[in-house]
Amino acid sequence: MTSNVDPITLEVFQNALSSIADELALVIMRSAYSNIVRDSMDYSTAVCDCNGLTIAQGLTTPVHLGSFPHAMRSLIDAYEGKMSPGDVFIFNDPYEAGGMHLPDFYVIKPVFVQDRLEGYVATLAHQIDVGGIAPGGMGVFSQEIFQEGLRIPILKLFDKGQANESIFSLIKINTRMPESLMGDLRAQISACNTGEKGMISLVNKYDGNSFREHCEALHDYAEKIIRKQIAKLPDGKYKYEDYLDGVGENPEPIKFCVSINIKGDHVNIDWTGTSQQVKAAINGPLPTTHAMSYLGVRCAVATQMPNCEGYMRAISVTAPKGSIVNPFEPAACGARGIICFRMFDTLLGAFAQILPDRIPAANEGGSTAPHIAGRDVNNKPFMVSGGLMGCWGGNSSSDGVEGISNPAANLGNTPIELLESRQPIEITKYAFITNSGGPGCQRGGVALVRGYRLLEEAAELVVRSDRRSVLPYGLADGLPGTPSWNVIYSDGNQKLLPACPMESVPMKKGDEFIHYQAGAGGYGDPLDREPDKVLRDTMNELFSLDYAAEVYGVIIENEWVSEEKTAKKRKILRADKSHKDAYLQHFHKAIGVDFSNWKPHFANKS
Amino acid sequence: MSEFIKSKSVNRCRIGVDIGGTFTDIVLTSDGKPPLVKKISSTPENYASAVAEGIDALIKEEHIEPEEISDVVHATTVATNAILEGKGAHTGLITTKGFRDVLEFRRVRFPELYNLSYVKPRPLVERRDRLEVIERISADGSVRVILDETSVVKAALKLKGRGVAAVAICLLHSYINPTHEKRVEEIIRDIMPAGTFICSSYDVLPEIREYERTSTTVVNAYLGPVLSHYLLQLRKKLNDIKVTSPLYVMQSGGGQMSDSAALNLPAYFVESGPAAGVVAAAAIAKRAGLEQIITLDIGGTTAKTAIVEGGEPSRTSEYEVGAGVNLSSKLVKGAGYSIKLSFIDVSEIGAGGGSVVWFDDGGLMKVGPESAGSFPGPVCYDLGGEKVTLTDANLLLGYLNPMGLLGGRMKINREKAYSYVKQSVGDHLNLSAMDAAMGIFTVAVNNMVRAVKSVSTYRGRDPREFTLVAFGGNGAVLAAAIADELDITKFLVPSRSGVLSAAGLLAADTTNERVRYLFGVVGDLEDDLVLSAFDSLRVEASTQLLEQGFSPTEISNNMFADLRYRGQAFELTVPVHIHTPKLTEMMAHRFHEEHQLTYGHKSTDEQVELVSIRVSARVSKPKEVTVERKAKPTATFEKRMVKFKANCAEVETTILNGRENIDNKCICGPVIIEEYDSTIVVPPDWLAEVDGSGNLIVSKGRVSHDFKC
Repeated sequence: MTSNVDPITLEVFQNALSSIADELALVIMRSAYSNIVRDSMDYSTAVCDCNGLTIAQGLTTPVHLGSFPHAMRSLIDAYEGKMSPGDVFIFNDPYEAGGMHLPDFYVIKPVFVQDRLEGYVATLAHQIDVGGIAPGGMGVFSQEIFQEGLRIPILKLFDKGQANESIFSLIKINTRMPESLMGDLRAQISACNTGEKGMISLVNKYDGNSFREHCEALHDYAEKIIRKQIAKLPDGKYKYEDYLDGVGENPEPIKFCVSINIKGDHVNIDWTGTSQQVKAAINGPLPTTHAMSYLGVRCAVATQMPNCEGYMRAISVTAPKGSIVNPFEPAACGARGIICFRMFDTLLGAFAQILPDRIPAANEGGSTAPHIAGRDVNNKPFMVSGGLMGCWGGNSSSDGVEGISNPAANLGNTPIELLESRQPIEITKYAFITNSGGPGCQRGGVALVRGYRLLEEAAELVVRSDRRSVLPYGLADGLPGTPSWNVIYSDGNQKLLPACPMESVPMKKGDEFIHYQAGAGGYGDPLDREPDKVLRDTMNELFSLDYAAEVYGVIIENEWVSEEKTAKKRKILRADKSHKDAYLQHFHKAIGVDFSNWKPHFANKS
Repeated sequence: MSEFIKSKSVNRCRIGVDIGGTFTDIVLTSDGKPPLVKKISSTPENYASAVAEGIDALIKEEHIEPEEISDVVHATTVATNAILEGKGAHTGLITTKGFRDVLEFRRVRFPELYNLSYVKPRPLVERRDRLEVIERISADGSVRVILDETSVVKAALKLKGRGVAAVAICLLHSYINPTHEKRVEEIIRDIMPAGTFICSSYDVLPEIREYERTSTTVVNAYLGPVLSHYLLQLRKKLNDIKVTSPLYVMQSGGGQMSDSAALNLPAYFVESGPAAGVVAAAAIAKRAGLEQIITLDIGGTTAKTAIVEGGEPSRTSEYEVGAGVNLSSKLVKGAGYSIKLSFIDVSEIGAGGGSVVWFDDGGLMKVGPESAGSFPGPVCYDLGGEKVTLTDANLLLGYLNPMGLLGGRMKINREKAYSYVKQSVGDHLNLSAMDAAMGIFTVAVNNMVRAVKSVSTYRGRDPREFTLVAFGGNGAVLAAAIADELDITKFLVPSRSGVLSAAGLLAADTTNERVRYLFGVVGDLEDDLVLSAFDSLRVEASTQLLEQGFSPTEISNNMFADLRYRGQAFELTVPVHIHTPKLTEMMAHRFHEEHQLTYGHKSTDEQVELVSIRVSARVSKPKEVTVERKAKPTATFEKRMVKFKANCAEVETTILNGRENIDNKCICGPVIIEEYDSTIVVPPDWLAEVDGSGNLIVSKGRVSHDFKC
């Protein structure tokens, strides 16, 4: 810790900074327009020091942890010495400007005190639509970034306080949803102005030099915490592989391979061995890979720590150029969220070898993001969006949580009533699926189902989902989770869609799109699950009676566990391992999907 | 009924009772006499017992006849405790087919980022008791699927068979068309045994957003049987001591409701106690001519703040019960059970006198949220506590009397506190015990500053334009330091601030708030339609008060509208004067102004949507909140050394035993005023004066003697 800053003042200083970052986040949440920002909370805010290093981040979504460093670096590279009070910068491009994918707009304001640059307030929000081949910017089928919508290099949106109206006009004409996007952009600008005020008064309180000294001390402090935690882990190399299903009708699995190399108080995250970049919009430019690597380490080892860039000094990341986690321009990356989730799963799979008591089995695999868009009779655009989640894997002490956001995202859902009152859609169901999730002594969280019925004449459906063939992994003899399915019911006919269709799917009035999400992995042998817990799950209609009997070996009669029959049944099941896949048949029976041609791909390995 | 009271009560006594987990405070006021106060231990096995016993003892001591009591107003923790302890009723829930799990999905966010071992709170209704009925209303209120009554009967029989004591009903879009819910309710009532608590969402909270509406309705049902039992018990116990006056319960939103009305709406009473404190502070400040205040209530475990503007406490409808500390405007929700009703917006931080000092992995000093409680308590209590707390630091700094607290009744051990602070904090940081104590104090102050900011700067309010009103055992010890951090130049300490909440009960109006979904774009909406909607809602809101016996002339109405820009999802609530020309235009105008104030920008060329209208009908109570004490100067001036600032030496400071010892009602700092249940720290550059109502007003900027560092 820097000698001139005492731990008392530093604690006070850290509090003051976090409250500025939170204040920025609140302004955005309350005045934003799109449901992605205001309900899902797919946005982040940060306060940075004069070198552009993050010193505080608003608590919104973990996936954005570490999303500012690259952005700040490219801003400073481009504009160092050329910034003035009143400037506001905007950009979204992952190759030119350190962005994540095109929908994520960065709006950043440098903060000057007495004409000296003291730091930055920064915001990042997922915009509902930025043009391009598919509504919502998530078209998996883009092959180059040029198809994905408006690319914005680093531009001055405000020059010395003067708005550059040309940029506003350019953006407005390039989106399908101008009202929403412009509203959210205003919220970002307004948050920056609020944050600027808070930061100026903080700098004044500490006076410039001492403020900088405190920022340094804070970085040192965060680094110290994480190094202490890493040092507690045994040195070594821990490897894990997981897969994305792949895209289109005949998907080829895409491999993610990570090695966690722990040496003393430093950790290297190495993605060597991961698949090459692909001709689909699921490539993750380097900032994404860094963000996920930091997040994995943070979840595994240190939960209580300020969101301050100093801790990143203890972590290095290796990502081979040309791989899906560090692609060459102009690889498309609009739907790169899905690889974020898979990187997270792969990292945790590796950490599970080091911290078996702390790491849960795999979660649902990430949000499913359906977009249903079109124009109504008055040619007014509509768009149904919003990610679906989710459930967590079982862990050494408890069942997987269900009805919860993916731990890497922490995004919220949109109220059905709000959705229906604004968009021509009827939500037909939103519920847990019986007999879903991976069986285990601590079972995986059960999956969810949501149905959408179109009320307008026509629309296009774009969907990005995963975990149909490579199932969420189980741990410690727990079984993998259940697969995801996309189904359209049209005029009484059932049609199965790929997990990631490589084209938009037409829908007509009355058609119903149903997404069955993947269920999470189990932990421990299901035959060791306490019969009373199985009874409760059965009473709660999460399990059917025959599922309880055939998968868990628990015989329930008249709402009671028959201990004798259960003991007998479990003995039989223990002797015969062939029952292990029975849960998948029960699951498919419960949702009424014909899966005769389906085969799971048990590919994970450490 | 109220007419009757007025004519009869020549010598009217009013009683306020604040039932806390540890103590029950009773305040009795009567015309022309100083108020009487009684503090007794609470009786958690049956809270009603202590109330009745306390009132009985108090009136007997003071020779007051039970008939002289005109009303009893009380705040209770019964509702909160039932949720915290999971002791509500076995409850069933009826939902639209396909949506039984909405209650459990919640908004799917979780409150502890990065924590992979997170465990979600269990839903108040288990899945097996969440049953679906076949029906569907569309977003525009039209019926898409007609209610299948057989499915309702089936569900009702199932719940009957399970023996549930309460049933909540919440169907999709019932806020716009409640016909299905009403019919379901009828059928359920027919089938369930008499005495089953049944409530529907259109009645509890007719607002859009299915999770919040379902959760609120479920909380209401879950608490229904518990609160009914409690209120009937209390009524009976009061009857036993011959007190038959009306009985009121304080609502979380600051108004009060008669016991009979309260029976059906228990979700309204979850934060009854903290609301009473804010109402009291607002009323006292208003009498002192202060309408812009921030309340600062610091006890042993938490610091609570709320903002009051124009004399009205600010309210929120985003509350989660059982979520631990509730920081206003907090970003990460999901820790508790959502109740989307009007609450006084109290922001809470886990920092109080008992907060424990610790060091994290990076070596930073933290204070709280763990508290040493009252047992073993701080090190200086000498009851075996070994963890250094804020109170120990306050003692070393000279803020607290080294001879003892509570007027000397509670002995303390300064030497022990000194050696613990030195060893476990000072040595760790290479600081003297005094500097370590100052450090603890500074960190605690800064935690509390965050609670003040969350009700002010986070919402575009400048704290410098407000006066702090400090109460609770530690409020006035820390008020000056907190004010300094925020450039606030004045704070007020009410007299008898230790029983402020109980006194506040007597300041609260009787209210009934109703809300109605009324959607439309300003410009398209007809003023007449909005006006008539307000009128009928006003009638609806008043009905309940009329049934309680108030006359129409006593009832006043405040009207509000929830508005937003087209496309936004969060509304801002603005007050409405319905008898202005261009009604909707004026509403939009107020909305633009509020948006500018709160978020720093407005878009006058955007369309404004009206979402809901609200009417709060109220009957004002006489504002007898003064708990002034007879001045009995004791005139013994003590002195002791006190440390006010880091890097400054200790200064010799006058110690006064009570504010009544202030000469000429005015004194310059440094001075410490010790009272029975609190201590007021007045640093060197502050000045304290007593106003006509016995409030201590402390202001900054009048530097007294040549105090220098």
